[in-house]
Amino acid sequence: MIIKWLRIDSRLIHGQVANNWVNHVGAGTIIAANDSAAKDDLRKTLLLQVAPGRTKSYVMTIDKTARCYKNPAYENLDVLLVVETPKDVLRLMDQGVEVTQVNVGGITFKEGMTLISEAVSVSPEDVEAFKELDKRGVKLILQQLPNTNASDFMNRLKSKNLI
Amino acid sequence: MVAIVIATHGDLSEALMGTAKMIFGNIDNVAEVTFKPGEGIENLLDKYQTASEKLEDDHILFLVDLFGGSPYNAASRFVARQENMDIVTGVNLPMFVEVLGKRLAGGTLEELVQTAKLAGADGIKSFKEVFSHQQIANSAKEDEGDELG
Repeated sequence: MIIKWLRIDSRLIHGQVANNWVNHVGAGTIIAANDSAAKDDLRKTLLLQVAPGRTKSYVMTIDKTARCYKNPAYENLDVLLVVETPKDVLRLMDQGVEVTQVNVGGITFKEGMTLISEAVSVSPEDVEAFKELDKRGVKLILQQLPNTNASDFMNRLKSKNLI
Repeated sequence: MVAIVIATHGDLSEALMGTAKMIFGNIDNVAEVTFKPGEGIENLLDKYQTASEKLEDDHILFLVDLFGGSPYNAASRFVARQENMDIVTGVNLPMFVEVLGKRLAGGTLEELVQTAKLAGADGIKSFKEVFSHQQIANSAKEDEGDELG
């Protein structure tokens, strides 16, 4: 499996991902790796129907995604991988998924979180996971859309005095 | 890149453009044309002329709201003598979004016209109809094996 793009986005598969990023990065397959969505029949059905017909899309647990990643049958599959949190990226890496770069795209604000940009908020738990990703040498890019500004996510955390 | 003119009664064209920017960010080579109370076909023809001069490609797809309405009628006059232009009516957000996506992927004018017709109609669904025909995802076997699905 070739991960053309790995994005953190709480909404997983939606218009920005299905109509824009997937074309931009040239992936024919979208995988939303998320334990709760994979186990929720209605949410899974709704996510799958967003993706345009020309794109194959899947909603799977983190564990299953990692197993598929290692399946030689998918060696040449170009994938856009979407997860909900930085912790899920760590879980994928811990199971052998190679990650060099992560696009921090959208994390919905909830109470106790700090607003980082128009589309991204972080919880203290997220900050710890981002620090670990940074320590492992993963490049973290804050970017909402392919043609909007890309900036260094760790610098942004520093500027907000979160690290 | 094929140019697009989106032309509607009232401010709909501008609003559709603003909404599409949520999905695509900045959108190049699209002109919005409004048609306001008190205006006529001549005003629209002027606006189409101005828009077409600003656009970067002489292949232009007009997306208009109502078949038979003034934006359509004026566009028909504008396009009639041009081989590299076409009009699709019934513009809605699903149509506009899919056309923009297809255009990013290098779609030709003819391909964009087909995409517009398909996506514009295909975006209209009833929840109950969809779910009565659709197989609801089954998560029971979800976490087994190493095959996609």
